[in-house]
Amino acid sequence: MQISLIQALLIGVVYYMGFVGTPWLIGVLGSLSCIQKPLVAGVLVGVILGDPVQGCIIGAAVQMPFIAYIFAGGAQPNDPGLAGTLGVALALAANLDPEAAVAISVPIALIGTIINVIRMTLDVSFVHMIDAACEKGDMKRAIFLHIVPPQVLCFVLCVVPVTLGCYYGVDAVNGIITAMQGRPLYTLEVIGGLLPALGIAMNLRTLDRPGTLIWFVFGFIISAYLGLGAMPVAIIGFVIAFFYVALEMRAESGDAPAARALVETSSSTSAVASEDSDDDFE
Amino acid sequence: MAKLTADKIQSETNVAERRLDKKDITKAWFKWICLSNTNYNYERLMASALLVSFSHIPEKLYPGDKEKKIEFMKRQMEFYNTEPHFGSIINGLALSMEEEMANNPSVTPQAITAVKTGLMGPFAGIGDTLWQGTLTPILLAVAMPLASQGNLLGPVLYCVLMYAIMLLISHFMFFTGYSSGKEGIENMMASGSIKRLIATASTMGAIVLGCLANSYVTCTSYLQIPVGDGFIDLQSTLDSILVGGVPLAVTLLAWYLMKKKSVNSTVVLLVLVVIGVVLGATGLFGGTAA
Repeated sequence: MQISLIQALLIGVVYYMGFVGTPWLIGVLGSLSCIQKPLVAGVLVGVILGDPVQGCIIGAAVQMPFIAYIFAGGAQPNDPGLAGTLGVALALAANLDPEAAVAISVPIALIGTIINVIRMTLDVSFVHMIDAACEKGDMKRAIFLHIVPPQVLCFVLCVVPVTLGCYYGVDAVNGIITAMQGRPLYTLEVIGGLLPALGIAMNLRTLDRPGTLIWFVFGFIISAYLGLGAMPVAIIGFVIAFFYVALEMRAESGDAPAARALVETSSSTSAVASEDSDDDFE
Repeated sequence: MAKLTADKIQSETNVAERRLDKKDITKAWFKWICLSNTNYNYERLMASALLVSFSHIPEKLYPGDKEKKIEFMKRQMEFYNTEPHFGSIINGLALSMEEEMANNPSVTPQAITAVKTGLMGPFAGIGDTLWQGTLTPILLAVAMPLASQGNLLGPVLYCVLMYAIMLLISHFMFFTGYSSGKEGIENMMASGSIKRLIATASTMGAIVLGCLANSYVTCTSYLQIPVGDGFIDLQSTLDSILVGGVPLAVTLLAWYLMKKKSVNSTVVLLVLVVIGVVLGATGLFGGTAA
């Protein structure tokens, strides 16, 4: 399948709509939290290319390495938005299976970080223009400068590379995939399968409490051996967390000796976790 | 003459209190969540977003007073960065302090700055842990199995839940910040209820992440090692030790490198790629069943 110029342009617009800070769909809630997710972008790209269902399937696969992705303080480890638009589009056009789609999306996501760095650097100049508007008490100009120039800049930065990538990238991806049949492609699939570990590890680091790692292993084992999905594990996790934290806090406050005794005797894990300060079990 | 006019306005201000109504507050909240990252930049991050979200406020608090308006505008342009939904409690608080200051000169601009800079870090941490660290992966994990089968309800469900939950939270936080004031928020931080919420969400989040690691970090071997007349199947040997042992080990390695060795996430990504190349190219893992 070839991607027409109009389709390539529209996919570029999807990437822009998912870029951090576009205001059109209620700010970061619509961009960072919805359209930027390959799960959602995949469907939109699928609609543009005429196959929303396949787009949804590929999008869900490409979402995997970024399932635990965090954007905080302007630091962006990689860019799921570019993987979910350009990556999904190229995978759909080249008829890749979901695993190969993941493998080609990951290097694309790495390139995407550059766009955010350029954007956040150039936006600094608008801040100084807004300062000047404040000196004059010109609120209308401040509003204009906050929204229009940064978004025009962002639009160009987002749409141009994605449009070019979609329009010229399909043949390249087709060629690469044909040349890599067999063991090289299996290797890419192995890499794609390992990459969710990065997002999950980053997320574990963010949660960062004593005992986090023990609870993580617990969740892994009940899922691996009982075959439970995310929803039942989330509910079981909530029940355990609710009582564990209640006991932990009562033990910490020291006003309930019975609770402390319960924590210490019933669960060696919580006793270790609440008293452990040298980070061994974080 | 100009001074006379200013004095006259000042005396009028004292007579009638300048108050914001609910519509003003709702407007400030909605503009904030829409525009928080519109001009996101390395120098002052969300400063101009705070200004623009309060753009209708000077007319209410300082009608016709250009000097006060300019001061108001410059005050909002200080460095500001937090998580936009949970952190909107600070915007609500800053707004109530601005309103107080317009009526009562004993509230100083320094107090507003202190509140903003003191609270933005903690609430960014709280917000990112609960929103991006806990809620997002859970909703994604619920939606992705549906989407993998080509069911469009998966992504739709994800978006609807995300919007509903986060809009409610940010609205609640903004109005809580506006109505509870500085002491109220400090009490809330000190009372342990926030600490308890974070602890519960983090513990639950860690358990869910374990489930996600099992479901989404994959590394399967199809290698058959010839031994005498038969074969040893590498994957079933590994499974007999620990199901999912390789994915678990890889995830723990990634965590160890970042947390204990402070390795940059891009470097960890490259390490994972190298491991993948080694495991895949040697034929130990990956491929199809014989």
